[in-house]
Amino acid sequence: MSSIARGNIKMALSSVRGTKWRSMLTMLGVIIGIVSVVMVVGIGEGVKQEIAHQVGQFGKDLITVRPGKLKSNDGQMVSNTDLLFGLNSISGLTQKDLQTIQNSDHVRLAAPLAVVPGEVKAGNRKLDQSLVIATNGSLPEAINRSIPYGDFFSDKDEDANVAVIGRHVAQTLFDDYVPLGQTFTFRGYTFIVRGMFDDFKTTPLSPSSNFNDAIFIPTKVAQKITGNSTQMYTILVKPDKQENTGAAIESIESKMLKAHGGQEDFSVLDQKQNLEASSGVLSLVTTMIAAIAAISLLVGGVGIMNIMLASVTERTHEIGVRKAVGATNRQILNQFVLESAVLSVLGGVIGVIISIVGVLLLRVYTNLKPVISWEAIVVATGASLIIGVVFGAAPAIKAARKDPIEALRHD
Amino acid sequence: MALIELKDVSKLYGFGDATTLALDEVSLTIEENEFIAVMGPSGCGKSTLMNLIGLLDRPTHGDYKLRERYVSKLRQGQRAKIRRDTVGFIFQSFNLLPRMTVLENVALPLVYKGVSVGKRIKMANAMIERVGLREREFYYPRHLSGGQAQCAAIARALINNPSIIIADEPTGNLDSASSRLVMELLSDIHKMGNTILFVTHNPELTRYATRVVYMHDGAIIHDEQTAIGDVAPTAKRIMFTVPTTTEEDDLAGVSVLMKNVPGAESDKSEQKPAKSKKKAAKKPRKARGGKK
Repeated sequence: MSSIARGNIKMALSSVRGTKWRSMLTMLGVIIGIVSVVMVVGIGEGVKQEIAHQVGQFGKDLITVRPGKLKSNDGQMVSNTDLLFGLNSISGLTQKDLQTIQNSDHVRLAAPLAVVPGEVKAGNRKLDQSLVIATNGSLPEAINRSIPYGDFFSDKDEDANVAVIGRHVAQTLFDDYVPLGQTFTFRGYTFIVRGMFDDFKTTPLSPSSNFNDAIFIPTKVAQKITGNSTQMYTILVKPDKQENTGAAIESIESKMLKAHGGQEDFSVLDQKQNLEASSGVLSLVTTMIAAIAAISLLVGGVGIMNIMLASVTERTHEIGVRKAVGATNRQILNQFVLESAVLSVLGGVIGVIISIVGVLLLRVYTNLKPVISWEAIVVATGASLIIGVVFGAAPAIKAARKDPIEALRHD
Repeated sequence: MALIELKDVSKLYGFGDATTLALDEVSLTIEENEFIAVMGPSGCGKSTLMNLIGLLDRPTHGDYKLRERYVSKLRQGQRAKIRRDTVGFIFQSFNLLPRMTVLENVALPLVYKGVSVGKRIKMANAMIERVGLREREFYYPRHLSGGQAQCAAIARALINNPSIIIADEPTGNLDSASSRLVMELLSDIHKMGNTILFVTHNPELTRYATRVVYMHDGAIIHDEQTAIGDVAPTAKRIMFTVPTTTEEDDLAGVSVLMKNVPGAESDKSEQKPAKSKKKAAKKPRKARGGKK
């Protein structure tokens, strides 16, 4: 049997070589399918890894309090779909919540993050995508960052119109490397730049991605501007000691639950859960896009079926000869299934190679860091094998059932 | 014990009023080591008979016993295996696979038998040597002359050491020199003990045969033993007594056999083929199977 298989593989390859153009076009469907699936999954995986890396940057003991329920009662992360809806129905945390958290046990500091909408201007320059975040003096410590230029505002000057900016803002708003002491206007108030963060490593889709484009102002000032309507999308918390992280979370949860009247409309996540939350959504999106890409793989399969049917008709005479010298229907079937499998797997392998090249190009020319895992390669090759066998079956059955005399008469 | 026993075997093609009777209750017994020439005009059912004996086709009615085994009702797979092990086919148009070398073509039946690659090459080599294509084994069929191609086809037919060789006009596409080569080869094989059936239009080639079967309209109309080396008596009659072809026939490529067949009432039957079939069916057959 093995020798038959080997002979058939050789025959299949020679048949592929014999009709280079046609085989190439047939494989194209599979190639495109494999490339799109592998690339999408690769990009998704890359972003996930980046997020994990970044999360590590902020310290393992960082606790994140978010509005909305992201955890089910048994502590597991809720399913992906619920997560999407959960993120949509964010209502925001309040100043009261911040105080509740600050008063919880084992909490060293808590830094709120709240987006303040509005336009930022400096002279005749404008920020197109201004992101003004209201926070307090604990932020640098909460995210493990120091201020290399100037100072962060402390709790003492919470009433002052001061701001700390991200690196990109310096470039776009002031066209200056270190614009300390410069001013800008925001919703009619003038702010002085007091400090500037160093570069944050940028990653698309990750929570801290736009800190480079952000302007941080004190919470009290923000409340003055907006009339107490700012809502915090996250409160970052650090415990007093790293080993007390769990205890701090429990304490925050119970205090918050009491403050919210028993309604659990918030989530307290440690870094691991936080990672799960963001990568969960990402996984969902990746899976969805990959599924759409997989349709092209299916279309590739149909292309293979089409060409195999043509090939069977074209080689009717050959089938007749093979049957005359003693090939059974099963052996003919195997030969054609194997041929379509070889075609498809060859397409899969080419697809994987193109994906690897594509990933390298993406790594060089964009800030995406896609990864191709061994699993992706194995799955892609396996999928192309399955497609070859499944879509090759119908033509192969047609070939096997040919009447030998009719086939011999066929030219 | 007869090798091949056909009893009242009929083969019909099509259905309704388009039914064609390709074989009309043919009975034929073939013993081991016979060398049989089958003659008859085109469309008389020679090829159908060969296909039936070679298990490529099933009879519509009647029994086919091969080595005391009823084979007409067997499943496809089993028939393929019997075909592989006991029958070797030689065709008029050689039917070598064009994308394979001579060696691969000859080794093809071994592939389906599951012989290992090394053994396959060895056996195919020996067989190619035997048919005298030693230097041509890595050639592709398109690079061979007709005679060489037919020799390769014979090698392929012989590779599984089948007891029956079926050759459907093996010399039909060959010139007389190549024809002789091929027939000598078949004759050699016959001497080794194989049973050979071959279809021919050339009365000369009955010299090689031990028995000649004449067919017309799906029936065997005459069956005679003949000595090796002599043209069969009936075939001889065709050759020498019947007026040969006219000049127009030569131009049109009409052969003597197409015009004249012993035992066939010539003119009417050819003008009205539909009726003639009925006549042929009613006609008492002279032929009987076997040597009895």
